[in-house]
Amino acid sequence: MYGSASTHDIPAKATTGLENEDPILLAEFEARIARGEKIEPTDWMPQLYRKQLTRMIEQHAHSEIIGSLPEGTWITRAPGFRRKMAQMAKVQDEVGHAQLLYSAAETLGKTREQMLSDLVNGKSKYSNVFNYPTPTWADSNVISWLIDAGAIVNQMANAKGSYGPYCRALDRICAEEAFHLKYGHDAVVHMATGTPIQRKMMQEALNRWWPAIMTFFGPSDKMSTHTEILMRWKVKMATNDACRQQFLDMYVPKIWEIGLTLPDANLRKNEEGVWEFSEPDWEDFKRVINGDGPCNAERIAVRRAAEENGAWVRRAMQQPKAQYVRPLA
Amino acid sequence: MTGIIYLLPSSIPFPLLFSFDPRISRLELPEVPSLPTDKVALDQFPTYEVFHQRKENAAYAYVGPVHAPEADVAFLFAKEQFSRRFPCTGMWVVPTSAIKVTEYGDDQQSVYDRLPLLPADELGTAAATGQESYDIFHLKKRGKAHAHVGQVQAASPEAALQAAKAAFGDQRPVVNVWVIRSADLLRSDDEDRDMWTTTPDKKYREAISYKVQDRIDRFKQEG
Repeated sequence: MYGSASTHDIPAKATTGLENEDPILLAEFEARIARGEKIEPTDWMPQLYRKQLTRMIEQHAHSEIIGSLPEGTWITRAPGFRRKMAQMAKVQDEVGHAQLLYSAAETLGKTREQMLSDLVNGKSKYSNVFNYPTPTWADSNVISWLIDAGAIVNQMANAKGSYGPYCRALDRICAEEAFHLKYGHDAVVHMATGTPIQRKMMQEALNRWWPAIMTFFGPSDKMSTHTEILMRWKVKMATNDACRQQFLDMYVPKIWEIGLTLPDANLRKNEEGVWEFSEPDWEDFKRVINGDGPCNAERIAVRRAAEENGAWVRRAMQQPKAQYVRPLA
Repeated sequence: MTGIIYLLPSSIPFPLLFSFDPRISRLELPEVPSLPTDKVALDQFPTYEVFHQRKENAAYAYVGPVHAPEADVAFLFAKEQFSRRFPCTGMWVVPTSAIKVTEYGDDQQSVYDRLPLLPADELGTAAATGQESYDIFHLKKRGKAHAHVGQVQAASPEAALQAAKAAFGDQRPVVNVWVIRSADLLRSDDEDRDMWTTTPDKKYREAISYKVQDRIDRFKQEG
């Protein structure tokens, strides 16, 4: 579950550092990507590529871990045994995705230790939508359906990227997300076509979540040198706007067909087939992503507690002589 | 009550994190975290690489790494991570450090073509000393997964690679080869194969179990 919104791009002012790279190796690297071949961990790669991919995959992994919290809290309260089992399976999937992604990021040279430290110390970001609470079962359903739907748009694009380990992880992840999407859709439809109280609960949850969903893919990309290079290197596969348009095109009709409304009077598809909408509140987005959201402190505190409470188990199992080896692929 | 002692907030020296979620509030976490915790380097476990078999008689294919303190635990983690959602009829794990890796070639090429020949006497002495079994894995295309192609007998990983070239060198393309001493692979036992059969019971994990269209259609008709 991940959108571009959390990826803090390298500031436009920062240099690409390309002038320091070996021009022959760089040309070979670019030619390989242009031929449609994937990059594997032992290949030479420019620093900027390594840095941006590490950041991206790491943030994706954190988003899976933190994203499992707002839904995980509903496992014990999910209505009915079958939904409890399904909700549990979904949360377990998300945590499994984090494991796959941490491993993929590790192949780029950052250890899992360091990534987990950076998460609990607030140095790394995760998808901003998880800084909002899930006060009702319907809120959890909105995440299961629409946040996962957004993540799938993003992940399907990234699965065609150039880095082998990330592609391998995403292929598995996308296959599992198919269940999440159907499960979430089913849950939302059930509420929306249920009793008036269920329907009202779902509509209110959707109203609460819509502004966050609109920020999920991040602000419009400014076409900087970086964006251009990262797209040529197939690190970034689609612009934030393209992802958002694709999401709206796929899901707004599905929301409307079950009689739910969206809290944006300007939302419509124009004659050219482009979705128009009110510009999300990016100031608020910035404020929340920088720590001042309703659940930032809680998410990190819970993650940190899990980390600290599990430390004795890891210590007990530690093999003092074992050497860390970076995973291969 | 079941003997759980609820601490009164006043008995705790720091302000507690408040959450509307009672399960979080009950954790009694501090509102402001203590000092940043830096995980000790290598507070993590060594990595193991995992291969699985999708169905009977299919080649074992690479699925990814796990971190674990030892092979048995790696196997458990691997089972949880890689077999809980997809059909699987067998699994192997091996310490990452036990894998000999060739260089990576281009798609469409074979790395065997670039393999330096070992001096004949080196191979000769190797033949004289004890031979061991090695498992050979090929990567056919960058971004795809290594797949098992077979075993060879050799006295060292280098000699095993030469033997693999003789045995499987006609397969193409081969972007990369992994050579693993057979004894280093922990393999699932054929006798335990019933441990892979839990997946079909859990229909609620399949997208296909959710048939929502009927409900939508009914809703639209009732309009």
